[in-house]
Amino acid sequence: MPTLVGIFEQPRSVADVAQKLQGRGYTDLEIFSPVPSNELDRALDATPSRVRIWTLVGGLAGVVTGYALTIWMSLDWQIIVGGKPFASVAPYTIIAFELTILFGGLLTALGFLAVARLPNPRAHPHYGARFSAEDFGLVVGCKERDVAEIDALLREHAAKEVNLVEP
Amino acid sequence: MTPPAAPSMTAVVSPPMGPADSDINQGILSVLKGASLGYWGLLLLAVTTVTWAALCVLYQVYWGLGVAGYSHPVFWGVYIVTFVFWIGIAHAGTLISAILYLFRSKWRAAINRSAEAMTVFAVLTAAQFLGVHVGRVWKSYFILPYPNSRGLWVNFKSPLLWDTFAISTYATISAVFLVIGLIPDLAIARDRATGWRKVLYTVLALGWQGTSRQWKSHNRTVLHLSGLATPLVLSVHSVVSWDFAMSIVPGWHATIFAPYFVAGAIFSGFAMVLTVMIPVRRIYGLEKFITPYHFENMARFILLTSMIVGYAYVVEYFIAWYSAVEFEQTSFFQRAFGSYWVSTWIMISCNAIFPQLLWFRRLRTSIPFLFVLSVLINIGMWFERYVIIITGLSREYDPAVWGQYTPSIVELSILVGSLAFFSMFFLIFLKLFPVIAIAEVKEYAIHEKEHAGDETPWEHAHTYGEIH
Repeated sequence: MPTLVGIFEQPRSVADVAQKLQGRGYTDLEIFSPVPSNELDRALDATPSRVRIWTLVGGLAGVVTGYALTIWMSLDWQIIVGGKPFASVAPYTIIAFELTILFGGLLTALGFLAVARLPNPRAHPHYGARFSAEDFGLVVGCKERDVAEIDALLREHAAKEVNLVEP
Repeated sequence: MTPPAAPSMTAVVSPPMGPADSDINQGILSVLKGASLGYWGLLLLAVTTVTWAALCVLYQVYWGLGVAGYSHPVFWGVYIVTFVFWIGIAHAGTLISAILYLFRSKWRAAINRSAEAMTVFAVLTAAQFLGVHVGRVWKSYFILPYPNSRGLWVNFKSPLLWDTFAISTYATISAVFLVIGLIPDLAIARDRATGWRKVLYTVLALGWQGTSRQWKSHNRTVLHLSGLATPLVLSVHSVVSWDFAMSIVPGWHATIFAPYFVAGAIFSGFAMVLTVMIPVRRIYGLEKFITPYHFENMARFILLTSMIVGYAYVVEYFIAWYSAVEFEQTSFFQRAFGSYWVSTWIMISCNAIFPQLLWFRRLRTSIPFLFVLSVLINIGMWFERYVIIITGLSREYDPAVWGQYTPSIVELSILVGSLAFFSMFFLIFLKLFPVIAIAEVKEYAIHEKEHAGDETPWEHAHTYGEIH
């Protein structure tokens, strides 16, 4: 199965052409980008990133742990401090807040690895150093009879180069 | 069957060849290459000073805290002053990477990496002082809530414990922030490195290739970490300020302490970014990336926070007078005109008066002036903590127990050692990792190229604000 690699200079062109290709039923697409770009984030998958769930779970786990830890420990060995109740929610809120951030942040980082599928020891066969320079790449896997159509479409959308990679 | 190749199409081998580098990559990665004699000299100086300070710590561990200049009633000295100083320095990094990220300030891209690295190293430096200050370093872990044979738990109503949680969270999250931000840049370095660096960057880049899935989760992660780090950065120095404000020492027991400390921390953090980055920019030819525009923006931040800090100084004196509490009034009179008057006036002039010169545009854009001013601010902010802690403790309620504190050689050695400790880490970082966030700088370069012909290139910035 042949693969076409279109080289672009602007993320907007890549996003446009990727959406057109998807509209025409081509789903074997991959984008390489040297920079973060919100257009490209939506280009292949318009649903929000699932990292958000990880952050939420981490944050909730943190706030629960923070209150549970402090309240349980001060009830486990009771010492009156400053004439306050053993389970004083106000000062424990500080601990709960810090643990919300700590657990939320750590789970966000783990979520990043899980959702981005990192670490990824296998290099994509069409990845090259130019994609960590300033070129954007759109990799399209297609049937042999579609090569000419996709090639034309890529060039139409300001691809400065289109490479055909034989299987 | 061969595909019906179009005449203009070139069948090539994989991976596709092409211009494999860009000016931005080369400009920033050139910092990593080689190391001059001056660099090694500085590193040697830093390591030697750290060694000397470590020997001083060992000396103190052997003889006890008596070798510090503590004398009744002052038992929080240079160690706590320097601890608060370094925690303050650590605040610019997260402010620049998290808060300015949420505000979409594009100028942050040139300085966020170095500021994040400084944050991590400054927290690391500050953390050393907790061990140094408690004296019996081998019992430092008593502050942690771990199950023990005594059946006791820690006191969660103590600000010192809040501090433990705040600072360990801050250290962890700022390190996570730095590492996540580094991944795309490590891939850039990996694609261009040879030898042991290639191995190092290949491992650390985790196989990053900039695919849309990777970037999408990266953007979302940075957004969430920014959202978490923004309240964190405000909370950390608030909690540090409560170490003082929760007590009843005159001069400490003030509700203004949290915002006052946070503003001071950001103020000193920006000053440290200038102190460090002005020479780095000059030596490594990064003028193209860190321009007078960036310096002017930092100068404005310094001016703003200087005025907040100056306002806090005035309010402290006003409240001391207005409260009609004799102890407060005496404490503040002693600050300005007592035996510590030199420290107080250094603090006021360096932090509240000299930065007012930044009202002049000519001075805001003068790099040599900014460098001198940033060093003065660093000195001034160290003295601010010195004034608060030392005069507060030595002029408490009863004049019969007033005392005089002078730092000892051991304490001053460890203070200088902390500067070297921080510099040592930064020097090593400079040669191992890209000191400017390459992908982010490139993002703006590509964006500007796209809108090169437009009248207002930032008109299209609306798409920049949405993250999916």
